[in-house]
Amino acid sequence: MAETPLIEIGAMFVTVALAGAIANRIGQSVIPFYIVGGMLASEYVLGTLAPLTLGDAGVQIQQPFISESEFIELGAELGIVFLLFFLGLEFSMTRLLESRDRIGKAGVVDLVINFPAGVIIGLALGWSLVEAVLLGGIVYISSSAVITKSLIDLGWIANDESSPMLGTLVFEDLFIAFYLATVSAIVIGSGDLGEAAADIGVAVGFLLILVVGVFYGSEFFQRFLAIDSQELTILRTVALVVFVAGIALLLDVSEAVAAFFIGMGFSSTDHVDEIERLLTPVRDVFAAIFFFWVGLGTDPRVFVDLGLVAVLAIAVLVTTPTKLVSGYLGGRIYDLDERRSLRVATGMVTRGEFSLIIAATIAAAGTGPIMTETIPDLTVGYVLVMSILGSVLMQYSESLWAVVGPYLARIERDQVPTTD
Amino acid sequence: MAVYETDLPGVGKKFEIDLDGEAQLVIVIHNTGKRELFLRQTPEADSEKVFELSDKLARQVGTIMEGAYFQPIRDDQISTVLDDETIIEWAKVTAESSLIGKTLTESGIRQRTGVSIIAIQRGGETIQNPPPDVTIEEGDTLVSIGDRESHQEFERLAAGEASLDEPTENGEQSYIDES
Repeated sequence: MAETPLIEIGAMFVTVALAGAIANRIGQSVIPFYIVGGMLASEYVLGTLAPLTLGDAGVQIQQPFISESEFIELGAELGIVFLLFFLGLEFSMTRLLESRDRIGKAGVVDLVINFPAGVIIGLALGWSLVEAVLLGGIVYISSSAVITKSLIDLGWIANDESSPMLGTLVFEDLFIAFYLATVSAIVIGSGDLGEAAADIGVAVGFLLILVVGVFYGSEFFQRFLAIDSQELTILRTVALVVFVAGIALLLDVSEAVAAFFIGMGFSSTDHVDEIERLLTPVRDVFAAIFFFWVGLGTDPRVFVDLGLVAVLAIAVLVTTPTKLVSGYLGGRIYDLDERRSLRVATGMVTRGEFSLIIAATIAAAGTGPIMTETIPDLTVGYVLVMSILGSVLMQYSESLWAVVGPYLARIERDQVPTTD
Repeated sequence: MAVYETDLPGVGKKFEIDLDGEAQLVIVIHNTGKRELFLRQTPEADSEKVFELSDKLARQVGTIMEGAYFQPIRDDQISTVLDDETIIEWAKVTAESSLIGKTLTESGIRQRTGVSIIAIQRGGETIQNPPPDVTIEEGDTLVSIGDRESHQEFERLAAGEASLDEPTENGEQSYIDES
């Protein structure tokens, strides 16, 4: 039957299930644990063990590690597709337009502070402009999944600080869809100029068709799922999403962006709740495979390389404060007091799935050692640090407030002349 | 009593309800159907989680709260809002009310106030669609439908604050009785 032994896939699921259990146990986000699970099960760690021989029966396990099989790679790809599909599904244009004033302001502040920080780090390292812009996107995008879950776990969801955080995430998500579309077209089409222009033309054309389809096809999306069968609903949705994402890849368009637009097409129909209910488990399974695959392709020994560690340290030390500042200002834009604005600040630090998706999309198509090796490895390390650091900062935001609160209050007093 | 509704993208919706004093009740309805209830003592305080309910349980609790199983009728009116224009009210006929002893036709409630009586609750029984010759008794609860303005006039009649012998507050209204 299959080339990949079933036991490898079983072992993969055992690993992610264990990793998830440990993460839940200590109140951390699951993403870094899935990645580390993948690293430990890879040929670089487990693979260094000698082949096992079980008992006298002579059952030999030649390869006591999980290899990067085609199944896992495709599973990871589906993970990206479903993550972005859900992003589009929960994305409501009307909602964005309703509170565009505050979301726009907080989102722009978040963008102009964090995105250039990544670009400047890249340029300072002597990278090309395209490579620096990739780093900009990776450090700019906060993790919707982890932040939303933390908000619910900490009970902040019922407080005023949830609005600027979720609003900023909506802005980031929209930006990242267009960003991915643009950079993937540039990176994928970086052959000779004439070819690149044609490639970008096809890509832009395809995306335009999708966007127009989404805006004028709400009737189609509404009717497409007007069936009274759970099974058919799941199958139709998955069919449409995966097939269109596949066509996108054929045309050298980012499959993630295509999935995002399909999600957006369903977002204005009555089926959103039903799709979410039915497909969340599917998304969770494939998203776990994606994070596991990220770890699987990362040799932990790269983090012994001082050069990479130095870049990672710089990225963490620069982009933690930038998010804190932009998050704090975002809170102030929503008229929150200093304490709640500080919570928004700590909440926005977490980076996660989208940074990895940018890195994975680019590594697959990029050229040169920086795109295919440095950026992916750096991103894995970066997400591991930032996802844990972000959760910890949120949990200890009260202690942080006790320390910096007086200073913040003083800054505000000096800056804003009181008009009482 | 104000209710504020906020969208929580990717999570669900949040409802904040003003309680007595400064406190607020915060209800988060998740897309998954889960309901979380929080209490916020002051506008500056953090919301304290009280409990959470599954979708099914929340509906059951909500039905009980709404009074589907036991509807205590207090002297002040309770009402159900159908839309911006239309409400259904329950009004108790007090001892002072000039409606006592009158049939529905004699009372001329509809012409006078604009509300229609759709049921009379009397001693644990309900007279649905009461015929015009039903006599209103003390202690009856009259279930009426109409707009807010008409109800204000009707409430005063039922409570005895206004009498059938006086002209109405907002001038004599002329409602055409089609029945």
